[in-house]
Amino acid sequence: MPVYFIDTFIIVFYMGGILVFGLFFRKYVSTTEDFFLAGKMLPWWVIGFSIIGTNIGAYDYIGAAGGAFRFGIAQANYEWLGAIPAMIVSALLVIPYFWRSGVYTVPEYLGKRYQESVRTIEAFIYGLFLVALLGIFFWASGLMLHTYLGWPLRLSILITAVIVGVYTITGGLAAVAVTDVVQLGVMFVGGISVAIIGFWKAGGVKVFFANLASAHPQHLKVFLPLDNPDYPWLGMIFGLGLVLSPAWWCANQSIIQRTLGARSEWDAKAGMLFAAFPKMMVPLLVILPGFFALMFASPSEIANPDQALPWVIRNLLPPGLAGLVFVAFVAALHSSVDSTLNSASTLWTRDIYQRYVRRDASDRHYLFVGRVLTGCFVVFGVLFAPVTDKFPGIYVAMQNLLSFFQGPTLATLLLGILWWRSTKWGGLFGLTGGVASAGVMFLFKMNFLYVAWWSFVVSGLINIIVSLITLPEKPEKLRGLVYGFIERDKKAQEILKQKAEG
Amino acid sequence: MSFFEHVPVFSGKVLITFLYLLLAFWVIKRSKSFIYEGAPTKRNWRDLRFWALVLIGIQIALYLIF
Repeated sequence: MPVYFIDTFIIVFYMGGILVFGLFFRKYVSTTEDFFLAGKMLPWWVIGFSIIGTNIGAYDYIGAAGGAFRFGIAQANYEWLGAIPAMIVSALLVIPYFWRSGVYTVPEYLGKRYQESVRTIEAFIYGLFLVALLGIFFWASGLMLHTYLGWPLRLSILITAVIVGVYTITGGLAAVAVTDVVQLGVMFVGGISVAIIGFWKAGGVKVFFANLASAHPQHLKVFLPLDNPDYPWLGMIFGLGLVLSPAWWCANQSIIQRTLGARSEWDAKAGMLFAAFPKMMVPLLVILPGFFALMFASPSEIANPDQALPWVIRNLLPPGLAGLVFVAFVAALHSSVDSTLNSASTLWTRDIYQRYVRRDASDRHYLFVGRVLTGCFVVFGVLFAPVTDKFPGIYVAMQNLLSFFQGPTLATLLLGILWWRSTKWGGLFGLTGGVASAGVMFLFKMNFLYVAWWSFVVSGLINIIVSLITLPEKPEKLRGLVYGFIERDKKAQEILKQKAEG
Repeated sequence: MSFFEHVPVFSGKVLITFLYLLLAFWVIKRSKSFIYEGAPTKRNWRDLRFWALVLIGIQIALYLIF
């Protein structure tokens, strides 16, 4: 594929610009709160855009376009049913409790609500997952620059690592969140450009959809029959909509961390709700290219659905625009890498280092550790990147391992927030029992959507049974952590009564 | 799963619409003091219930269209 000067210029300009812009935020970091939570100064609109910038990765672009090419608009379930309801629940139920309890991480909340072992299990699993993801992200990023621009592979990986690493280490969450906003803008400009060109080539939006409906009517059906191996409608609603999606939007540290850096509780809630609006439009970016490939390419040109988007870039876009869409890919990867770095550093510093290595050090010390860990993760990601290529199953294995935890994590979190009677032993046994049940179901080769649902149910049931046969928690422990607990908390009611009486 | 195999795909649309309506009901029941907690002013556009209801409305429309 030919690369024009204008394409290379756009890419280099973006990379230089984002580095300089990110570095600007280093002067605002002097404490751990500044580094991990952006000094609790983020307004709702930055949180919203940053959440979606983090959420969209280059894998989503390629995988979702391939999914749309193969199955049609059912792929959009991941952006609609698989996000919007969970984001509303996260904003109006879960986030206020995280924000009010003053925690830095999701495991920290679980530790306060249940016990430290629950916190450690969650922090360790999610911490490992985030660090392993970095290697995969760096490899994908290097491979993209190498394939498109012809730069040496290792140099391409190093360039990504230096750009993202430098502004994340110096500027912390503030730099990550604000650069995410810019990166999301680039992604939407690139995606909308593809949509405009595609519709123009088809002769208009109406003509395009009329042709698609007559040639591939099944591609405009959002729910597919139960015998579909990948997207059965029942699994979509119960597995994706009721478990996997809420687990992602309520308990994923990379997502939640932005809301914890909000300047007020209202900004935290509004940020998540605001993010749902661009999220609904993500199918424009990721689904339409799959449809364009389906309608314009001959069947022999696309042997693998994942080639749908590269085909569109190669065959539909003019010079300059191809560079812009490529920058959108790079921006998607950068926004995922910086968020993963910052969240991994937060988890390992707060939940592991501060808890098990050095408990009572100064804030300055933990800020230093957070920065050093971020640097270590960058180095690890660069070294680990080639390994992910030698073992292509690593990403799938990591995703499978994480899916074991998502149902049980959600059950533990929701029962912790909604049910005052849930005890520390209920939380621990519910979480571990749910994960074990997911492992057993996986061995029986159950679809991962059903594994998520049933491990959620098993985890919840174990939590309820164990909680009912163990002693209730003391009110002092639950104060401010459980929904509606104030109605049962006599001491808190007395204080409120005294205040009301003057 | 054999029982569900005979359930038409259209039931999915009915079920998802019902779940969205249930969510809308829950959103409406959130108290004003909770919604505005931390907000600098109590202007109408800051009422997050309204934001959530717009999102739910668009979602129901999308699932009914496709």
